[in-house]
Amino acid sequence: MKKVGILLALLVLLVMGSSFANLTVIMVTDTGGLGDKSFNDSAWAGVQMAVKKLGVVGNVVQSYEQADYVPNLEDAADIADVVVGVGFMMQDALKKVAPEYPNTKFIFVDGVVDAPNVLSYTFKEQEGAFLVGYLAAAMTKTGKVGYVGGIPIPPVKRYEFGYRAGVKAYNVWKNKNVEVLTGYVNSFSDAEKGKSMTETQFGEGADIVFAAAGLSGLGTIKAAQEKGVGSGYFAIGVDQDQDYLAPGCVLASAMKRVDNAVYYGIEAAVKGTFKGEHKVIGMKEKGIGISPMTYTKQFVPKEVLHELDVIKAKIADGTIKVPATEEEFKAFMPPKIEF
Amino acid sequence: MNWLIAIVNIFMNPFFYKSMLNKATPLIFASLGGVYSETTGVVNIALEGIMLAGAFASVVFTYITGNPWIGILMAVYIGAAMGALHALACVTYRGNQIVSGTALILLSQGATGFLLQRIFGQPGSSDLVKTLPTWKIEAFRRIPFVGLIIGDLSPLVYIAFICVICSHFLIFKTKLGLRMRAVGENPESADTLGIDVYNVRYFGVIMSGILASLGGAFLSVGQLGQFTENMSNGRGFIALAAMIFGNWKPFGALGASLLFGMAESFSYQLQTQSILKLPPEIKYLFLMIPFVLTLVVVAGFVGKTRPPASDGIPYEKE
Repeated sequence: MKKVGILLALLVLLVMGSSFANLTVIMVTDTGGLGDKSFNDSAWAGVQMAVKKLGVVGNVVQSYEQADYVPNLEDAADIADVVVGVGFMMQDALKKVAPEYPNTKFIFVDGVVDAPNVLSYTFKEQEGAFLVGYLAAAMTKTGKVGYVGGIPIPPVKRYEFGYRAGVKAYNVWKNKNVEVLTGYVNSFSDAEKGKSMTETQFGEGADIVFAAAGLSGLGTIKAAQEKGVGSGYFAIGVDQDQDYLAPGCVLASAMKRVDNAVYYGIEAAVKGTFKGEHKVIGMKEKGIGISPMTYTKQFVPKEVLHELDVIKAKIADGTIKVPATEEEFKAFMPPKIEF
Repeated sequence: MNWLIAIVNIFMNPFFYKSMLNKATPLIFASLGGVYSETTGVVNIALEGIMLAGAFASVVFTYITGNPWIGILMAVYIGAAMGALHALACVTYRGNQIVSGTALILLSQGATGFLLQRIFGQPGSSDLVKTLPTWKIEAFRRIPFVGLIIGDLSPLVYIAFICVICSHFLIFKTKLGLRMRAVGENPESADTLGIDVYNVRYFGVIMSGILASLGGAFLSVGQLGQFTENMSNGRGFIALAAMIFGNWKPFGALGASLLFGMAESFSYQLQTQSILKLPPEIKYLFLMIPFVLTLVVVAGFVGKTRPPASDGIPYEKE
């Protein structure tokens, strides 16, 4: 009996000792899961950056379906000092779990939970989508571009309307008539569906397709890859720089620096400056942007690249207010700008 | 009016039919597998899990060897092994077939998730591997319209159709097929006549494993060149519905799979029609078309179909 007691005491000491030394960070993925090469992987990169630079202990829990969110968050909060929850669909689960663990710090990406221990980050996805929308419209040979969404939750809709606004701006400024085909595949984790939706849009005449669909979007890249480099067909990646996944077939990626947001959140927790608030990150904060187009720059005319730079600056200084919802999109008229 | 134009537009588009074939192929393989198993009297709800295992095995061995055909061959072996495991539990040890099937699904989900991390060093999805190149059949390609549909497809699509025809012949025109049906209808009489009920059932279940596994391989190395966790995503269960709707017959299963494939493809096409100006929430509803169709079909037809009389009942030798 005594031995067991000593062992237990040692164990407790060990656990406490390690938790005093380093913060434990556990990330809970959304249903897209790690390996989506976009949203979840980007958040995980932020955790790993914190592991390297701040010496925290990082770990990850995968969610396979929405019913996993609450138990996963609770399990994570039981042992971690900081829990990183990613994905808008986790919002209700986190609203329920966060008050149960007032001493645990939560970092939440893509949604807002109003609690003293939750630091919420949302992004102005529409601003990056506007750029790739403009680029797609400038590059299309068929006069049609496509959009594949996962599930129509707010961040994904912001991508859609930003993208459509970019195409609309191109049409107004250049007096063209580029059409946008849109479709949703109802999943962030089924690449086969993303691929067939993209092929459907290719079949309807689109030649450049932007996917904001997590892992399903890998199917879009695959579909463009099957058309081949130099065929004029392109995919546009999302969240992370996905250009390397199929060099020459991914025109650009609309970047959303989830990794930086997660890193700064953890840093705040380490330094003790963490507080429950809502931060909105856009192009101005350099949290939204477009990939450097490492493999496709030679396909894009110089003046288009220049125009993109001008638009970037105009979005950052607020001259162009990119619409985020359907109502705003309908009312959106691109302001006159000089290139 | 716009709706009518959109729908006509869809049915005039050869790509719609091609996409239907691609969508239907995994269902054809898996539902045909179901036909084999249930004709001999063993319910196989493990199709979902076997598909997943097949998808995984084919990607792993394609990754190792660089040849997708070897990946497919290994998927066949893995499928056969999982079928044999199901048969061992349900035929030899006369366990509950639903329980064994469920266990196989869970085993497959767990094992693929675990091995994925071991082999590729990351959870979620595997590295990209080679896909099976499509077959460009010149004789088909010359036919207008039809050529655009069937002239350039993955070899596995053609193989699926060949499997259906061969299976129909095997089940309804050969001695082995007669034995399979006898064992599924009335194993006692079959046993009395000297048929080895267990062997025939083993054959049926192992065949179902092989076919379902091929369906999974089509999803991964046939389509994407990648394995992602739980990538069968319910297709095994839809295949079961297709088998039931198809009245436990190869051509029935084929027709039902094509119908489900068409419904899904139709929902994508309808979203893409630019003539219909619709907000995202409405487009999202189109994705329910396949499921509504399933309900309608099951409610309207299942009463009229008849499973083999001893389907799901373990047979105990005297």
